[in-house]
Amino acid sequence: MNIQDYIESGILDTYVLGATSDQERREVACLSAIYPEIQQEIDRLTETMEEYALLYSVEPPTDLKAQIMAQLAFGEAPVKPLFGSNGNGVSAAAPAPAGGTFAVSRPVFTMSWVAAASVAVVMLVFSYFLVSQLQQTQRATVSLQSGKDKLQTELTDLRVRQQNQDQALALLKLPGTKIISVQGNEKAPGGGMQVYWNEKTQQVAVAINKMPPLPADQQYQLWGLVIGADGKPQPTDAGVLDLTGDVQKQTRAIARANAFAVTIEKKGGSPTPTLSNLVAIGNV
Amino acid sequence: MAKRARPFVAEEVLLEKLRQRDQQAFQWLYDQYSAALFGVILKVVREEEQARDVLQDSFVKIWRNLDSYDADKGRLFTWLLNVARNTAIDALRSSQANNKPSAAKTIHPDADTVHIVDRQQSTPPINPAHIGLKDVVEKLRPERRQLIDLVYFGGYTHEEAADELGLPLGTVKTRIRAALQELKQLFT
Repeated sequence: MNIQDYIESGILDTYVLGATSDQERREVACLSAIYPEIQQEIDRLTETMEEYALLYSVEPPTDLKAQIMAQLAFGEAPVKPLFGSNGNGVSAAAPAPAGGTFAVSRPVFTMSWVAAASVAVVMLVFSYFLVSQLQQTQRATVSLQSGKDKLQTELTDLRVRQQNQDQALALLKLPGTKIISVQGNEKAPGGGMQVYWNEKTQQVAVAINKMPPLPADQQYQLWGLVIGADGKPQPTDAGVLDLTGDVQKQTRAIARANAFAVTIEKKGGSPTPTLSNLVAIGNV
Repeated sequence: MAKRARPFVAEEVLLEKLRQRDQQAFQWLYDQYSAALFGVILKVVREEEQARDVLQDSFVKIWRNLDSYDADKGRLFTWLLNVARNTAIDALRSSQANNKPSAAKTIHPDADTVHIVDRQQSTPPINPAHIGLKDVVEKLRPERRQLIDLVYFGGYTHEEAADELGLPLGTVKTRIRAALQELKQLFT
């Protein structure tokens, strides 16, 4: 702030005349403690008003001194000034621009500051409580969310399998559905599965009993074989198998077949069977 | 905090003794300041009977509130003046409120009456200062002195003074500043 502007605003003059509001008085007291120039100006103005007041000096009647002294208690322990209870005394001292003002009103300030500080502390503690509650709630929410996601995934998986099984079951119920037992050869000893095929609807489903596990980059693939007049088999892709053990409906349609065969192919299946990798076969 | 110029080292000793409620110290205080305080009180209440009561009240208050006076916050004389002045203003207002509640205007004399009363009161020039009331009266512009007196002795706020004198508030503020600056020059 510009000290000179502040001094020239005339507020210090008003202050010294005792015509400032309580707020202005506090402001001046505060600023004068910070800026020596302001304090110096207040000192000069105060002395000016002292001089001015002195001009009006009138000697009081001589009997008054004794009268006044009769009202005062001398030689006693200092009596503490009573704040508030002595309305007149306080109001007399309060508008004083310097001196009494601050000494009288200071305890009130102190009380207010103590009260304000207490409120602030309570609010601080309460805010901390709220923040920790919020954090706890957030952690719980995150954990619930991940649990929910996991359940959702499992539910989706189950639905897909359920749908698959329903379709396979529907196929089994259809009239004319044939059950072909496909047995593993020496490359898959003990392996075997049932293939369900309906010639009319061309649908195929598989229930695997047991098949040897494969490396991750390989898969079993089912083929429908039509044995031609020359004795050579004509393979048709009937889709890859997954080894979950459930009855699974194949996505490929087979119109004609004399036999079903299983080969080991690369993951995702091949367009034509690798006959050297034939592991199981069964006639219709 | 700025270092305050304290004119009398003895003031500290006086205060110490006053706070012990020392009778001699009070006598010294009374002899030193009663004329100044009585003059200010007279200036405010204008009646000697009431001025006597107010001076008594003021010294009782000073006696009771000595412990609340802080030498770092202001000069002793200023503090004494303010106690006396405010006690007088309070007394004037309460007697006005009791006697003639509606005649507020008559209580605040205009410039001329202030002038006359001042001259009357100043006839015994008690204070043999280097500069007399007469000099100040003559040198300080009347409208400035009137304003200082309204605010300082009448306890008027700026707004009340502006109302009383029919002046804009801004003029009151600048005039008060100018008046005090002028006074300051007169005393230095």
